[in-house]
Amino acid sequence: MKTSKWLYLFLLPGTLLYLVFFVYPTLSGLYYSVTNWDGISPDYSFVGLEHYRTMLTGDLLFSKALGNNLRFMLVVVLAQSALALVFAMLLVKNTKTNILLRALYFFPTIIASISVAFIWSFMYDPTLGLVNAALKSVGLSSWALNWIGDVHIAIYSIAFVQVWAHTGQVMIIFIAGLQAIPEDLYEVARIEGAGRWQTFRRVTFPLLAPSATIVVAYTTIQSFKAFDLIFAMTGGGPVNSTEILSTYIYHTAFQNYKFGYASAESVVFMLIIALVTILQFRLLRGRTA
Amino acid sequence: MERVFLQMARREKAILSLLLAFMLVALTACGGGGGSSDAQGSGGASGGASGASGKSGDKVTISFIHWRGEDVKTFNSIIEKFEQENPNIKVNMDVYPSEQYQQIAQAKLLDGTTGDVFAALPGAQFESMAKAGLFVDLTNQPFVANYEPNLIKAGAKDGKQLALPLQLVYNMPIYNVDMFKKLGITEIPKDWDGFLAMCEKIKQAGIIPIAFPGADIGPGQFMNPMMMNNAPDEQIFQKLEAGQAKLTDEWWVKTLTQFKELVDKGYIPKDSLGVKKDAAGALFAQEKAAMLATGSYMLATEKQQNPNLHMQLLAPITVPADKAVYEGIHTTTFMLAVNSHSKHQAEALKFVEFLSRKDIAGQYANETGQHVTVKGVEYTSPELRDTIVWASKKTRFQPRYFITNQDVQTAVTNSIQAVIGGKSPEEAAKEAQAVVDQKIKK
Repeated sequence: MKTSKWLYLFLLPGTLLYLVFFVYPTLSGLYYSVTNWDGISPDYSFVGLEHYRTMLTGDLLFSKALGNNLRFMLVVVLAQSALALVFAMLLVKNTKTNILLRALYFFPTIIASISVAFIWSFMYDPTLGLVNAALKSVGLSSWALNWIGDVHIAIYSIAFVQVWAHTGQVMIIFIAGLQAIPEDLYEVARIEGAGRWQTFRRVTFPLLAPSATIVVAYTTIQSFKAFDLIFAMTGGGPVNSTEILSTYIYHTAFQNYKFGYASAESVVFMLIIALVTILQFRLLRGRTA
Repeated sequence: MERVFLQMARREKAILSLLLAFMLVALTACGGGGGSSDAQGSGGASGGASGASGKSGDKVTISFIHWRGEDVKTFNSIIEKFEQENPNIKVNMDVYPSEQYQQIAQAKLLDGTTGDVFAALPGAQFESMAKAGLFVDLTNQPFVANYEPNLIKAGAKDGKQLALPLQLVYNMPIYNVDMFKKLGITEIPKDWDGFLAMCEKIKQAGIIPIAFPGADIGPGQFMNPMMMNNAPDEQIFQKLEAGQAKLTDEWWVKTLTQFKELVDKGYIPKDSLGVKKDAAGALFAQEKAAMLATGSYMLATEKQQNPNLHMQLLAPITVPADKAVYEGIHTTTFMLAVNSHSKHQAEALKFVEFLSRKDIAGQYANETGQHVTVKGVEYTSPELRDTIVWASKKTRFQPRYFITNQDVQTAVTNSIQAVIGGKSPEEAAKEAQAVVDQKIKK
């Protein structure tokens, strides 16, 4: 009994760090969200729920950033999960070639996002970039677009980079999930005469649901937090077409010196992520069960 | 039995002490990160270990923070000279990437341990820092007299000189002098029709008339010369933020219409919104473009990329010649200041005084390829010598810097991007004004 009491002490460092670096800043954020603090001045005053009212009723840029974020998330979650699943299915067996290919697909994940952003910015450049040059060299000049300069496609071009950079990472989660499925079940399916599609639908997919839940939740949060990629590639432009909530909050706080308003945005941002994640968990929990 | 319990209690005490010690170390390590370790972690170049000003024997250490990574080599040499002249003062320089500078600087300056001497940007950043009382009043310092009085106004507020802008920048296109000569362009146009005719001549020769970094700095830079004569009122953006002027008014719609004309006629490439500063600079350096819509701060970089370039500055005159009020745009920036929270203000002032000396400012100018605001500096590089003629011309302080609200500034530059992206000037102006209306209410 005495020993178990002591064991709680081992939780203390982690708990303290969590309190200092997560709970305290979160509560501070909540507090500042009802003030007009500019981030520098020692003085500020209480403004109540004014920031929340402005944000939710009359902030065009906030709603635009939210819309962009949802589009970005949808594309990234769907494309990244689907591609990762395909790659995982193809590379699930532990052969030498597959292990090499897994490492190769995983490689972009270990490159710093900021480097990924710079590399792709150069590749997307309409005049000097590799992407358009490659398309032109194979006679696809009409496909050579202004990838991050066109307001209609810029967000999708960045979503593509996000998918490129993180598919390998998600693939590993799926591979782990696939390898945990007992071989017997496939054998039974084969004996029962199930085809490839039926095996996938009735055996693989349902048993992969726990991995899928992790992947979808992780990818969603990741796409909401894709700050560095967007910040370095477009800075939210052109014409706010790639502005997402995290970049908008940054601009409000550190360029416009409206820390109070940015705190309110962060609170709403946190609630949105929580809401989306809870919804996803509920939807996917059914499948897991 | 009792002995066993005693031993256990001792062991528990030891474990507890260890745990507490670990927590203390962890918290100290996390909370106490300052100075250069942060700078390096954030990707900034560093001139040495920084952090708190402190004493090593009788030596006082002061911290100097700024955002110009490209000037580190020059500053290191200047600091070395300063330390030789002032053996009791050591200067630690930390450089943060410009996009992170604002967030890092404001936090660090407040506690007074970093940034005894710091650089500030004019406009919104200066206003916020002044409001927070971060500046030591320099008004009565004798070295203020070293500067051209009309070039340090950006660092003054309420009759006090709070910061001293060191750099003088001309925010207007650079052009390739030899290329212009080759194409028979001997005189720089003095009106809009002349400017269009000149662009057409360049285009006909198969050269891009204006390399425009529309993805980053282009709109915020080129808008200044494009609007300087369309809205000669220097208070225009203050009026915009006060709700007394609108982007849907003639001055801005005309500016946008002229931007559209440049794009529609192919003088600014249509895909410019995907082009960043470095790529546009490369087009100019490779002599694929005749003009580069940035500013004098690109002269040194372009020369480095193509040593054969012979460059000069020009500003498009968007009105008939007799209606032109201004010939160009200038900005005074990299404003040197002393932190009011510093414990070593006397030493910090000494360093600013040193940087304000004619010989030191001259070294800074010539080694970094920037004009400076200090009087009597002799420029040795041909580019700086050629372009300093602009000091005697009628130039206007960069209007964009008068926009104190970043969202309003973004709305303004976004309307330029929208027009380049194909929107009508009227529609782009209307959308931008809607954002401005919202933001100035907030």
